[in-house]
Amino acid sequence: MQTLNRPGSGRHSINWPRGVVVTLAATAIFLPLLLIFYQSFLNAPFFMPAKELGLEAYQFIFEDPDFSVAFQNALALAAGLTVIAVPLGGMLAFLMIRTDLPGRGVITPLLLVPIFVSPMVMGFGYVVAMGPVGFYSLWVKDLLGFIPWNIYSFTSIVVIAGLTHVPHVYLYASSALKSLGSDVEEAARVTGASPLQVMFNVSLPMITPALAYAAVLVFFLGFEVFGLVLVLGDPEGHLVLATYLYKLTNKLGTPSYHLMAAVAVCLVMVTMPLVMLQRWLLKSANKFVSIKGKGARSKPMPLGQWKWLAFALIFVWLMITIIMPLSGILLRSFVQYWGEGVRLADVLTLQHFREILEQPALMRGILNTVLIGVIGGACAVICYCAIALAMHRKPDGITRFLDYSVLVPRAIPGLLAGLSFLWVFLFVPSWLDGVLKGMDNGVALWLSEHAIPLLRSLRSTIFALWLAYSVVWLAYGMRLISTALLQVGPELEEAARAVGASRGQVTRDVTVPLVKYGLLGAWLMVFLIFEREYSTGVYLLSPGTEVIGALLVSLWATGSTDLVAALSFINITLVAIGLGVALRFGVKLHN
Amino acid sequence: MNELTVNDLHLDYGSGAHVNHILKGVSMHLQKGEVVALLGPSGSGKTTLLRAVAGLESPKAGTIAIGDRSVFDGNRDFELPAEHRNLGLVFQSYALWPHKTVFDNVAYGLKLRKLGANEIKDKVNDVLKNLGLGHLGERFPHQLSGGQQQRVAIARALVYNPPVILLDEPLSNLDAKLREEARAFLRELIVRLGLSALMVTHDQAEAMAISDRILLLNNGKIEQQGTPQSMYETPETLFCAEFMGSNNRLPAKVTARSGQQVTLALGGATLQATARGAGGTDPATIIRVEEVKISATPVDNAIELPLLTCMYLGDRFECLFKSTDGSEISVRAHSKYKLEAGSYWLHLPADKLWVF
Repeated sequence: MQTLNRPGSGRHSINWPRGVVVTLAATAIFLPLLLIFYQSFLNAPFFMPAKELGLEAYQFIFEDPDFSVAFQNALALAAGLTVIAVPLGGMLAFLMIRTDLPGRGVITPLLLVPIFVSPMVMGFGYVVAMGPVGFYSLWVKDLLGFIPWNIYSFTSIVVIAGLTHVPHVYLYASSALKSLGSDVEEAARVTGASPLQVMFNVSLPMITPALAYAAVLVFFLGFEVFGLVLVLGDPEGHLVLATYLYKLTNKLGTPSYHLMAAVAVCLVMVTMPLVMLQRWLLKSANKFVSIKGKGARSKPMPLGQWKWLAFALIFVWLMITIIMPLSGILLRSFVQYWGEGVRLADVLTLQHFREILEQPALMRGILNTVLIGVIGGACAVICYCAIALAMHRKPDGITRFLDYSVLVPRAIPGLLAGLSFLWVFLFVPSWLDGVLKGMDNGVALWLSEHAIPLLRSLRSTIFALWLAYSVVWLAYGMRLISTALLQVGPELEEAARAVGASRGQVTRDVTVPLVKYGLLGAWLMVFLIFEREYSTGVYLLSPGTEVIGALLVSLWATGSTDLVAALSFINITLVAIGLGVALRFGVKLHN
Repeated sequence: MNELTVNDLHLDYGSGAHVNHILKGVSMHLQKGEVVALLGPSGSGKTTLLRAVAGLESPKAGTIAIGDRSVFDGNRDFELPAEHRNLGLVFQSYALWPHKTVFDNVAYGLKLRKLGANEIKDKVNDVLKNLGLGHLGERFPHQLSGGQQQRVAIARALVYNPPVILLDEPLSNLDAKLREEARAFLRELIVRLGLSALMVTHDQAEAMAISDRILLLNNGKIEQQGTPQSMYETPETLFCAEFMGSNNRLPAKVTARSGQQVTLALGGATLQATARGAGGTDPATIIRVEEVKISATPVDNAIELPLLTCMYLGDRFECLFKSTDGSEISVRAHSKYKLEAGSYWLHLPADKLWVF
């Protein structure tokens, strides 16, 4: 019988789509970073005509006493945060995964809530719940006669930051603990160890690589903390690097981009090695916890009377980290005013929400936040998918380059990323303008007339904000998608190739349909993350690009507590809806 | 003309310090209508060779040609991608696409070849009926049994009439009873459709049952090739003899040689044996289990051993004889009936007692 031949020549052709995706991704990642570096070596903002290269910016900040204080505070915050979050996260993971603590099914999703709540909202929640005139403070004052805590002290800030970063450690510790067989713990119990001893002497030591990885992660996250310190650090003047950068504009009164760039470079110099270290640790962690195969079954360990202690620990953490701040916001947004001696029942009102309805900027902000979450999230997932497919099953130099490039935005805090994208949209059009003015041909003129105004106007559209968001969360999104892609067995794609499908056809007809549900789950997760975002939009804030997070920062600065409370409540509601949908459809909140 | 020609193929995994040489110069050919089995232990390179022919692995050197079309040439640095080679490949795990129905799974190859919808429907239904799957077109793979999934995988590979069909361990995923039926079904199908097939397997019984010619691979090279009968009855190397059947290994000493005749000393007895293969520094003596004849009375070319135990295998007993005087001789032999305890004479026919 005649063999049916497949159309096509079989000559090697350049993979155009892949090239385009890689180029665009590399530009989006490295252009802002390069700009930051370039700006830090100028002695004036880059749009000033009289600028020259020099080290004046660095000189200024190194001589500024506030800078060294801010740097030391940042280090102290990061270290303290790590010391609190890692043990707690490990212990909570042990309790949830390895023991038979009742109510685990309910508590586990609650543990992940702080990841999805904006730190700005949390900070505000603490002020409103536990500040000098906070709800809980006044109730405790009624009982005890004084307030036993000071929410504005540096120690409190470190403690709160540590507690709110516990979920990050929990995620990594729990997935490592899941793959341990229970026989090692049973052996310890038989020898006479109590659950507490088993935890400290057996389970946690066995997941040391995962804990090390999580420790490095929360350490550099601690370095990037912004919203919490902005809200809680102001009254007593505690500065960290991120808030120092934010306040530099106030220091000199003019946009001192070169100084901000210098601070940014210092920050990145600390975080970048940490990001690389973390990736290296992840690789060695994977080699370590490979107790795969037909290993021992996992049986939960009975806690006995330790149950109550465990409950107490979890309850205290939930109380301080979630219940108090969130209930504070809830109450404050429905209360007309609050202070000492005011009775709750007298002042309940919906007035603040009515005010929000009347302000077009705020309504735009809410709409933009929802849009950027839903539509922006979908577009971001499509982009992440394209990049992931460019790396999928192609182990060559380009994949390695993308692998490391994707980590770079991680080292840049949201605040800096927003700033750098602002600069990109200011810098590129004027630089292009300068270049094109020198040329005389028709193409240059056309570009001058059409492309440059377009680029200029992009800055104040939501596109700039979306681009900044997508780049900042690139590593997170990629992780979600590559987890889904790994589920597709290679033989399914090889079978398609054997039957005659080109690489593009294999991706379209086999790979993408099979990760459909993974992509939907990723969309949901990206929606949640975009809702929680606040620092990236701060510098890109302009009429038309307001989002709730950035609005909170600017409203807080003007002291409109009522509006901040109401907006925070709306933000929490959006996130809660998203989380509800996720849990309803069984989307895994962790990988 | 050969449907498939492979010449001096070399293939490595990894590079630099961690390089692993998988194929070290393999040559083979396949003629029209022939079924060839690639047989060998794990790590011998048989699956790698199959995947290299399919275009899913990149060899380092050598040539591969399908018909008169070259698909890989190491000298010219030319490699045709898998999707252009027009071969049929049946995976060990079947690799049916879970999001497509049985019909769509089989039709995909025709869709890529831009056939009309009606033509596709005809061809697909034709091949499904041929394999006894006519009523299953709208099912999804997870709704089929293992045997049915295997037949869908075969249908998918056949539907566009490739010159050669490649099968990667086609029976290993089936349970033992099903394997015997599938063995017969596969051979009958290939012969009836006049296909040329290259099959990979690690089970020598399967290889002998299905194929016209066997290629035995050892450590990346072809140890021996031939018809199943010649491979089983006249092995040329110790490896081939040991792989192809159940053997007894005897610690005998060679005392004299003359041409193909060898004289052995074993446990005090003198035995005549046949030399096979190229011979080596350390001659090994083996005899197939089924060739050992048990006798209660002395016979020539035999050794006397006490019976240790008899194991019932259903169709026969397998009796184990072991020496007790420290000479470490143990022999397995078949017997129709259970034997009483005691010493027996084990006749080892000279032409079946091989010295390599």
